[in-house]
Amino acid sequence: SPWATPEWKYVQPLSRGLVPEPEPCIETRLSISNRNLSTSHTSSGDYTDFYSSKDHATNVGIMFRGKENALMPNWLRLPVGYHGRASSLVVSGTPIRRPCGQMRPDQTKPPIFGPSKQLDLELEMAFFVGGKSQLGEPIPINKAHEHIFGMVLMNDWSARDIQAWEYVPLGPFLGKNFGTTISPWVVPMEALLPFAESNPLQDPQPLPYLQHEDGYTFNINLFVSLKGTHPNTHKKLANIWYISLHIIMTLAKRKFTLFPQNPGSFGSMLELSWRGSKSIDIGGGKTRTFLKDGDEITITGYCEGDGYRVGFGLCKGIILPALND
Amino acid sequence: MSFIRVNAASDFSYQNLPYGVFSTSDNPRHRIGVAIGDQILDLSVIRSLFIGPVMSKHCDVFDQPTLNAFMSLGYEAWSEARRTLQNLLSDNEGILRDNVNLRSRAFVSQSEAIMHLPADVGDYTDFYSSKDHATNVGIMFRGKENALMPNWLRLPVGYHGRASSLVVSGTPIRRPCGQMRPDQTRDIQAWEYVPLGPFLGKNFGTTISPWVVPMEALLPFAESNPLQDPQPLPYLQHEDGYTFNINLFVSLKGQNMTEAVNICSSNFKYMYWTMKQQLTHHTSNGCNVRPGDLLASGTISGPNPGSFGSMLELSWRGSKSIDIGGGKTRTFLKDGDEITITGYCEGDGYRVGFGLCKGIILPALND
Repeated sequence: SPWATPEWKYVQPLSRGLVPEPEPCIETRLSISNRNLSTSHTSSGDYTDFYSSKDHATNVGIMFRGKENALMPNWLRLPVGYHGRASSLVVSGTPIRRPCGQMRPDQTKPPIFGPSKQLDLELEMAFFVGGKSQLGEPIPINKAHEHIFGMVLMNDWSARDIQAWEYVPLGPFLGKNFGTTISPWVVPMEALLPFAESNPLQDPQPLPYLQHEDGYTFNINLFVSLKGTHPNTHKKLANIWYISLHIIMTLAKRKFTLFPQNPGSFGSMLELSWRGSKSIDIGGGKTRTFLKDGDEITITGYCEGDGYRVGFGLCKGIILPALND
Repeated sequence: MSFIRVNAASDFSYQNLPYGVFSTSDNPRHRIGVAIGDQILDLSVIRSLFIGPVMSKHCDVFDQPTLNAFMSLGYEAWSEARRTLQNLLSDNEGILRDNVNLRSRAFVSQSEAIMHLPADVGDYTDFYSSKDHATNVGIMFRGKENALMPNWLRLPVGYHGRASSLVVSGTPIRRPCGQMRPDQTRDIQAWEYVPLGPFLGKNFGTTISPWVVPMEALLPFAESNPLQDPQPLPYLQHEDGYTFNINLFVSLKGQNMTEAVNICSSNFKYMYWTMKQQLTHHTSNGCNVRPGDLLASGTISGPNPGSFGSMLELSWRGSKSIDIGGGKTRTFLKDGDEITITGYCEGDGYRVGFGLCKGIILPALND
């Protein structure tokens, strides 16, 4: 394949020679024309979303099914995932319109159609696939690295009320596919490998096709901040937390564990507000359970080197009001 | 009628005129064609004959290797192009009929053509819109009381499928390996699908027939919509009949069989949700669609066992044997089995059909 790892390795030393010495955390104003990028289509690819944070899956499970049935039996055996919508992937800076949809807030009454009242963010990271595989032929785990090109930050915006009503039994659909934001700079895996650590213990041990020894868990600090429309409403929703990104492969899957287990590290408002039961303080006397119109969410992240950073730029989006009927 | 002779049982009548993408051994370039009788009219050869007000400015779309550009032009363009084709193929029009040189360049025999996927599919969505199928599956897995989930009758339930593994009819399908709990039926799907839906149980391969039948060819076969109870919310309501009487057949030919055996006779009119409702629901939240996107109906099953559209239902979760003749039976597919789906609308002395949607099962790869 013309895109296999050797070519990627070749490009990097050349570019290092052409740029000045790296500077710590360069503040850049990205003047990408967001509208053009968000509407241009160069290829028809696929987008898959995994569910690989044990804390997130457990929190959501507790909220929706109770403590005993929090994690489904398959969760610890395989990286659960589902297909997402490629057409609604947008670059950082693209405004996100609050979706309308069908929902059933009161189970004793018929469902209704209207603007989502439970608009949420989801802090994620994502990797791009390189090279190609043949239909019918798996990528063995010892070759997976040849197909993992690089990473971006992602916000998997979610409408929890639309999602809750539609998702049984075929999974999330319109509660997700109204928009998904990614950061614009794809950080190559070679830039991240210096920050790889050993993988977390997986218990039970996965089946052989999912086992690999080499550490592919990445120490990337991640931050989510919310800026409301009122003055002084600009606060980090989550403090610095330690992110372990452990990649396990068959056809390039991704696993992602949040440490430590404290509320300051939860990656969605569903969890931070515990399904709307707690208020999240955003400063200036204001609180949130879910997102309001005009809220701007910014996700940032970086690996901390010795006197330098490897970061991702911004993954940002502002919420526009729902369209009137 | 056309100057190209079409027999009454052909899928590709003058009333059909479906679009596809093909190549030939002497010209491997993918190009757009229209099927008629046993011929293909190569639109790249006759594109300058599209002289209507819309298509005259855009006839270069027929020079493309996929239908996406033509699809992107919209409703008026499709309609005008169809009228042009009907005129060019008419036995009353001499432009093509009488031009021996042009005819020899413009027509290719279907038997010499290799068909390809007709469009670059950006996103593929699969719905679940047959009430009989959803009820059968629900009864099998949850019992009669909980057969249909509460949302099923309120919105057209669907999920995203995988675009990369869409293949054209004739592509062999490799039996997938996967993680499963051996005591479950439809093994890979049953173990993985809670709570986020089907994934690897589906995305190892999906086959489509190569000829895209335009809606204008199907509209004469539209009937009134089934009663929907409870009535859907206003955004999903439409009065006009968009329920199509399309006869559908599934046949199976095992490795040592000389002929295929019919295992299902069904009809597209059995669907509960219409395509208009599916598309409207899909974009109701602002989700964008692009030309070439594919939206599938979900398994089509009718009210009688002979019309069930999956072996899961035909064998009732493996509890009954499906008779395929010669003393042979099936519950699920075996290596070497070839499945062929066909379908057509029955007109008065003609058919509007789809060609073949075929695939043979290859054995799983050894580790």
